[in-house]
Formats: sequence, C-alpha cells, structure tokens
Amino acid sequence: MRSRREFLKAGGLALVGFGLVPTRRAAGAARLWAGLDWAAVPELIEMRSDRLGSRVWFDPIGVYVEPGTTVRWIVRENVHTTTAYHPRNDRHSLRIPESAQAWDSGFLVKPGDHFDVTLSAPGVYDYYCIPHEAAGMVGRIVVGRPIGPGSEPFDAWVGRPGTEGWRDVPEAARHAFPSVARILAERRVHP
Amino acid sequence: MKRSTSGALAGATVLGLLLASAGTATAQRQASTMRMHPDTSATTPHAPPGGAYQKVSALVPLPDFIPGLGTLYVDPATLPAGPFLGYDRQRNLVNSIYMIPLKDLNAQKAFSGLKVAQERVDHVDIVFNAGHPGVAEPHYHVTLWYVPPERVAELTK
Repeated sequence: MRSRREFLKAGGLALVGFGLVPTRRAAGAARLWAGLDWAAVPELIEMRSDRLGSRVWFDPIGVYVEPGTTVRWIVRENVHTTTAYHPRNDRHSLRIPESAQAWDSGFLVKPGDHFDVTLSAPGVYDYYCIPHEAAGMVGRIVVGRPIGPGSEPFDAWVGRPGTEGWRDVPEAARHAFPSVARILAERRVHP
Repeated sequence: MKRSTSGALAGATVLGLLLASAGTATAQRQASTMRMHPDTSATTPHAPPGGAYQKVSALVPLPDFIPGLGTLYVDPATLPAGPFLGYDRQRNLVNSIYMIPLKDLNAQKAFSGLKVAQERVDHVDIVFNAGHPGVAEPHYHVTLWYVPPERVAELTK
C-alpha cells in the first residue's frame, strides 16, 4: 500500500513520464510540483483491524523518514492509540531519542480519526497502541540515522540509574517489531 | 498452540455457564435480586438495564453503538468478565458477553457465579479479541446470542 507521500511522488514521475511538461498549464503544474514542501506531506501509517477485532496492526509497521517529516496515524478500523515508548507514558521504557518529545494520541475512536507528529531528532522511534500493546500492535520509525535508545536491545536500560519502575516491552510486541536493518533496506515494511 | 488451548478453555467456560444457567434457573427465578433486569414485567428486556449497569461508552472511549455487538452496558464491579449486555438499535437485548482475559485462561482461573439473562439462548460465539478500552489485553468474547444469526448480521450495519 502506498502512502500519500509515495502516491504524490509517483504521480509526479508519471506526469514527467507522459511528457506533459511542454504546455503552459503543465509548466505551471510542474512549477507547483517543484515547489511542493515534501516535509509538509504527512507520512501515513494506517491503524488497522480485522472485523472481529482479533487481529490488529499498524501499516506500515516500520518506516524510514528524513528528519523533520510529519507522520500521520489514521484509524481505518477499531479503536487505537499511537503512544511513544517513553517513561511519561505509563512508565514504559524509553525507546525514542532522549531529545525527542513523547507523544500519546489518546483514543482515536472513529475511522478517519488521525494524529500527527513531526519527528526532528534523528534516531529510532518505537511506539505502541495502548489497548493492543499486549497483542503486539507496535511500530517503529527510523528518522535519519538508527541511533538512540530505540536502537538498543529491549532490556538495555535494566539496572541503569533512574529507570526504577520502568515497564518492559511485552513479549508479543518484541516479536512484532521489524528490525532496523530491514527498515533501512526496504524503507516501508508492511506486516 | 496457546490460542487453541485457550479456545478449548473458553469453550469449557461457556459450557459451564450454560450448565450452571440451567441448573440454577429455578433458584434464580425465585431470587429476583439476582436478575439482571429490574423490570421483570417486560417480556423483552429493553435498554437501559438499570441497576448498577452503565453504558460502556460512558465509562471508556468506545462508540455508543459497536458494530457487530450493539450498545453495551456493564456493571463496572464485574469487570473484566461482565456480563456485558448488548442491545440493538431498537434497544432490545440481543446478547450477553463475557470477556475472559487470555492470561486468566492460561492461569486456569475460575469464573463462577456470573449472572445470566432470563432469555432463550439461540447460539454462542467464542471469539478472540486483541483488546479494547476497558479490557486492554488479549481476551476471549464468549457471547450468548438471544437472536438468530440473521438478526446478528443486522448489527453490523
């Protein structure tokens, strides 16, 4: 499935490929296209579920973006959240860059409900869905370079000062994350 | 493997519920305080059920009408098992749902004395659910339907 960003980029290439540039109108469109601020086009991540609520997932489950990209999570079915692995979120372990802001969308209840976050600090960002974390509904975003707490093993924080009371990443979630290497290779990893 | 084991356990749970329901029906008829529906004169119970039951959408962020299940009410003291009472858009009782966490099934936890509605059960669904507000962990929905499958299908609209 293509994101809106991918769709727009593909559309731009298609315009060029069909040789539509020479007319005045198309030239205007090309100027508009060239001036498009790609950082302002959200990277879409869908929040999905089957009809019975038995299976739930983010799609893509892993994505690579450049620093400054806005990511938009949008509900397609069921009720979800997008919530950063961060001690401010119910004492979950830190799995986003130290300098990044934690986020929690709260419950997104209706299809079409969405939540935007702009990711500026380079690093790995792990996040989860509150009602579905134990079922393994998690996602990973690599922004620029794969660095920071999210690039470390899940238990790397254990025993470090200031981590008392932090919560482990549940077993099902650990198995669901795509590897950083796969995200870097494929850019968008689908479940 | 775990899911199939849990499914079998959930099946045993609902079977137990049904057997318990039949065995104690007389006693429950005599003990009106055990009935879920305070309006005992009604031939078909209607929403709201009254008593300690509250609309689920007022307790947690869920839609008022949940496609496939209906408008749900629950006594918060009975969470997570319930029963949750489901009503169609005409406010007729169509199901009772028991929500049994997977970890409780795997721990062989017993659920006994769960309330039942005084309705004829048409069929039972046992469905895995990954979680939702109110029961934010993997669990099974054990649903006693009081209407036939064609009426259940209408709940998805």
